[in-house]
Amino acid sequence: MFGYLQPFRDELKMKDNTLYKSVYCGLCRSLRRDYGIKSSLTLSYDCTVLAMLYLSLHDTPCNVTKGRCTVNPLKKCMLCSCDGEALSFSGAVSVIMSWHKLKDTMNDSGFIKKAAAAVLRVFLKGNYRRARKKYPLIDEYTSEMMEQQNDAERNGAGIDRAADPTAKLISRLCESFSPDAAEKKTLAVFGYYVGRWIYLMDACDDLEKDIRKKNFNPFIAKHGEDIRETMKYCNEVLNMTAAQLIMAYELLELHRFKAILDNIIYNGIPMQQKKLIRDRYDKRNKHRDYYPALDNSE
Amino acid sequence: MSDPYKVLGISPHASDDEVKQAYRALAKKYHPDRYGESGLASQAAEKMKEINEAYDRIMKQRKEGIPYIPEDTYSCPYNNYSNNTAYTNNNYSGSQSYQSSSSSRDYTAIYRMINEGRLSEAEQILNGYSPTERDAEWYYLMGTISYSKGWLEEAFNYASTACHMAPHVDKYRALYERIVQQRSGTQGGYVTTRGGAADCCDCISCLICTDCLCNCGRCS
Repeated sequence: MFGYLQPFRDELKMKDNTLYKSVYCGLCRSLRRDYGIKSSLTLSYDCTVLAMLYLSLHDTPCNVTKGRCTVNPLKKCMLCSCDGEALSFSGAVSVIMSWHKLKDTMNDSGFIKKAAAAVLRVFLKGNYRRARKKYPLIDEYTSEMMEQQNDAERNGAGIDRAADPTAKLISRLCESFSPDAAEKKTLAVFGYYVGRWIYLMDACDDLEKDIRKKNFNPFIAKHGEDIRETMKYCNEVLNMTAAQLIMAYELLELHRFKAILDNIIYNGIPMQQKKLIRDRYDKRNKHRDYYPALDNSE
Repeated sequence: MSDPYKVLGISPHASDDEVKQAYRALAKKYHPDRYGESGLASQAAEKMKEINEAYDRIMKQRKEGIPYIPEDTYSCPYNNYSNNTAYTNNNYSGSQSYQSSSSSRDYTAIYRMINEGRLSEAEQILNGYSPTERDAEWYYLMGTISYSKGWLEEAFNYASTACHMAPHVDKYRALYERIVQQRSGTQGGYVTTRGGAADCCDCISCLICTDCLCNCGRCS
């Protein structure tokens, strides 16, 4: 996971911002409790969203307390804690996915990155083993996804096939959040498009680098190396994925954090796309419409 | 059944107009036209039913409680969806009517498979057709399958081919237009072309055009 799913904080209420941060810190704390302080390194915004989704689908008691930051004890923060396994599940996802990503980095990167990945892997090995023991299914899904991903990249797959493994992985993870069959289906579809969106954002982000280094990127096929045209096209593909994601999202029954999740879906996603597609290639317009999301909300 | 006011997301003290407004907004949100072919149609229909029931209940309660409502004969406009299973199960049942006119091939079995959710099976059969046998409906069906599978780029390509091959068929056009609209970013995602942020070239060309239309005699 890459940290693309984030709220647009300017639009968030202070209260919700605090709540969001408390889940982030709570997840960090839960990681420390389960695997030791090293595992806090793997924490990402996407996993926080996963934890929030899990929490919002259930009525399990959940409280926020004052505490101190796991990594920097001098800093005070709010910590969310809950019964049930929302936090430990997301924590395991974080550890396991980071581990697999490092493995991937070791196989296809420059020397320095390889060395760094190797060091980190040694560092996280124990954590990964413990997470795998606790949640063997997550590990199974993730390694399956990595395999399919490598396959797709080797064969120069199209956009849909390239995005499929990541999409399926998130779909399966989200699916396990609910025991109810109908809700499972909605969650699976929602997760599929979330995963697809995240993968496509990452591909879009790496576009220039991949063209330079002649790596695989699903977006190169259509417009070759014309960055501007490709970016326009990327945005269309992302928009369509977002539209489908929203359709599934609106069918979910959320018990809490609705304001934050709404913000992530309706404001955060456009903002991230804007950051990636517009601001980078169109410096002139960077500050002109800082709040595009406002147009929808007013 | 849960509190009907909660379902519509309004307070029990809301005025009739507010109830209607909330109902219309929700009905639009979960309208089967929006969810068709996406694989979530049945969940959306379920939600639609819930909203319809809530609305009917509120209206009934109010009618009985306050006998002098001005427009007491108001019936809910989307009522036909509440008891209409056509959208959940027989999504493609309307295909028969034009099948004879637009295509020589018989795709009834494929439609049935899609309705039953056997997507990969249907796809396999369709892939068995040789490229020369593929007509507009073939592309439409492949588009539908890709769309519900989440392979949105292929869905877009198939739908646009179908629409180009047979522009007069509403069903193909509807799918294509829905996809184009989604890609524009108006239903989520980021819209790149906003009114306020026009190019200076755009501005100048606009001014020139306006100038051309002006008949006052003083301009140019």
